[in-house]
Formats: sequence, structure tokens, C-alpha cells
Amino acid sequence: MLAAPATLPAPDRTLDTSGTLCPWPIVETARAMKGLAEGAVLLVLATDPGIATDMPMWCKATRHEHLATFREGAGWKSYVRKRGRPAG
Amino acid sequence: MISGGLDSTLALALVKRQGVEVKAINFYTGFCITETQRRKGGRPDGTIPQNEALRAAADLEVDIEYVDISGAEYLDMLVHPRYGYGQNANPCVDCRIFMMSRAREIMEREGADFVFTGEVLGQRPKSQRRDTLWVIEKRSGLEGRLLRPLSARLLAPTIPERDGLVDREQLLDISGRSRHRQMELARELGIAGWPQPAGGCCFLTDEAFGRKFFDLLDGREAMGQERRLVPEDVVLLSTGRHFRLSPRAKLVVGRTEVENRLLEHYAPGRARLEARDCPGPVALVEGEPTWEERVLAARIVARYGKGRERPEVAVEWREGDLVETYRVAPEPDEVRLEALRI
Repeated sequence: MLAAPATLPAPDRTLDTSGTLCPWPIVETARAMKGLAEGAVLLVLATDPGIATDMPMWCKATRHEHLATFREGAGWKSYVRKRGRPAG
Repeated sequence: MISGGLDSTLALALVKRQGVEVKAINFYTGFCITETQRRKGGRPDGTIPQNEALRAAADLEVDIEYVDISGAEYLDMLVHPRYGYGQNANPCVDCRIFMMSRAREIMEREGADFVFTGEVLGQRPKSQRRDTLWVIEKRSGLEGRLLRPLSARLLAPTIPERDGLVDREQLLDISGRSRHRQMELARELGIAGWPQPAGGCCFLTDEAFGRKFFDLLDGREAMGQERRLVPEDVVLLSTGRHFRLSPRAKLVVGRTEVENRLLEHYAPGRARLEARDCPGPVALVEGEPTWEERVLAARIVARYGKGRERPEVAVEWREGDLVETYRVAPEPDEVRLEALRI
């Protein structure tokens, strides 16, 4: 999702990855998610435009919920909800 | 271990479809051509290449972890490879041993049973021969626990195969450079949109990059310095046009706006050149140029700017507190430029 949706949950944590480039926004996101409880929402701020494709793919791979990634001003915002691993 | 190329994606799919719980590992070396393109704002047509390892992990719904191995230990290995280089600056056997050793550490940390890769027997002349596959396995400490699903039936059974964790009969017997069987298998498994052929994503296998790599090391030696690489070399080697002015001086000229900005960032400790009265590239000089080499550098910088048709261009030379202006004719001799080009 590249346009900001009308409503988004308030983030439980905000991670600023501005100035870093692929793959660091995702590396830092993965690290930050480890410290969050299931259901918590992480807001990732980025300047790497690659996050628009990377974040949805990373969420699909790791089964977290990708809520939105969109451009805002000179940077990008990405909302991700932590999901637990499925049993088995 | 996944690069996102066809072979590692297929290996991942083959093991995962046996019901094995899998974690994908992607190593960041700093030499990936696609990553560098992304760092420089994308392809010339404005599109941004996707991260292929992420794409493959997403398509197959496999958890992925990035591991940064781009530090001093990796750079030292590149300069002093025990098993030597391939055709260019690619010490593929040593690099694989380095990566597999890290993969073994992750395997042990995660309590996993084995490591697998997309390597294909005989696909690459140096790192994927039967003897070197064995060397990589042994020297990384993964003896018996390194599975190559695409060629497994041509290799000795590994521990996970012997223990029944993986069904050897469902693994493959692919060898050689042809990729027909892989493409057939990709169609069968519904895998589409794989990137460039294996080996095409590493700067170290690139001939032009290799020339710059060895020139840098030779230049350091000529200056009486240690023959070694530092992290900023990795960025500079893949940025700009490089000219060897003399054994003791090198010029790097930006090719795009993005490269100019990048070079700007590395100006401290080097001389920074730019045409003063007309648009042109940012350039850096490393080493100890003579006065004649300074003038030559200024002429080359003038040649690549908008003032190339002018009889004279003012080129500013900044080096710490020193600021000088060289009024020079843009270098017109393409043969001479090519001779200086690294």
C-alpha cells in the first residue's frame, strides 16, 4: 500500500532507520520486532525507497502483518503488526 | 543460505516441500551489484531492483535473516585468500568457507540439524568442483551437515539424509553449467521471475572491478602502505571512473549526481576537484600527486564536465585548508584517457 490509509493504529514503538540503505531498514526492523509483544504495532521510518517493496515481502516471509507503507514528505512510513509463529 | 538466485530458491523449495522447518540466511558482503544499484538510487531507467533474497523468502514463506559479514575479517580474507582468486578478484572458495563457517555458527545457535545451499556440482570452474565442495564443507566445520539439494544424488549422503531428516530420493542429480533442468524445475514448482544467472551479482567477479581492486592494493604497496582493504574502499571501488595518474596517485571521477554526492562524503582525507564556473563531476584524488599530475587530474575533470568544448576551464582543488584553482584545457586525447583508465 503506497498511499496513507485513512486510519492506522497508534504504534507501540517507532523505529527510525533514516539514512540507512538496503538491507539495514529490514535488519533493524527484524531486531526491533523481537522485543515487541504479539499484536504490537511497529512504525518504521525510512529514507530508502526500497522499503516500499522490501517491507511487504519481509512481512510475507516472516508472517508478520503488513499494515501499510507509504511516502510522507521526503521519507517513508511503514506500519507492521507483530504476529506469532503458527504452531507446528 | 539464500541469494535469491534461481539455484538457491530451488534448493529452498526442494527442502521445504519435504516438510523440513527452514530458516533462510542471506549474507551481506558489500559487493552485491544489485544492492549497490539500490544504494545509488536504482537502475538507469529509474526503477529500483528488488531484493531477490527477500522476494524468494516471501514467495516461499520462509523466515529470513540478514547476516553482515562485510567487516575487517572478510576484507582481509579477500586480500589474502588461501585458495586464490578466480578469473578476477573473486576468491570464491575462501568466500564460501567464510560464509559456511558463519552458517555453521547460526546452525548451532538455532539448534538446527544442517545447512543447505543452491550449489551445483560443476557449475563453476573453481568453487563448485567436487574437490572444492569437499574443501568448503570440511574447512567450514560442516562435515556431513552441508547439503546441496540440487546435486545431492551425485555426492556422498550427508547426515540429514542418512538420519532420514531429508529424503535423498526427492533430491536431485544436477551437474554442470546448463540451467535447463533448473528452469524446468522452476516451472514445475511454480517459481517465476528469478533474477540474473548465478555469479552475476558479485562485483568481485567483474573484470573492471577486479582491475580496480588490484590496482588499489598495488597502489597502497607502492606508497609503502599495508596491502589491505578498509570498508570505504568497497564503496569507492564501485563508484565513478578511476584513472591511475602514477603509482602514487589515483583519480576518481563521479559519473552521476548520486555518485557525485557519494564522493563528496568521502572527500575528507583526499583532494576534491570540481569545475568552478560550469557544471561538472565531483572528483577525488588519492595519494601524493606531483604538480603535473594535479594539472592532468584537473584536465580530466574538465573533460567530463559541461565545459568540455571550452578552451579553458577553471577547476578548483580543495585539500583540507588548501584551495587552489587550475585553469586548464579539457583533456582532448581519448587514447590517453583510456590508457590512464583503470
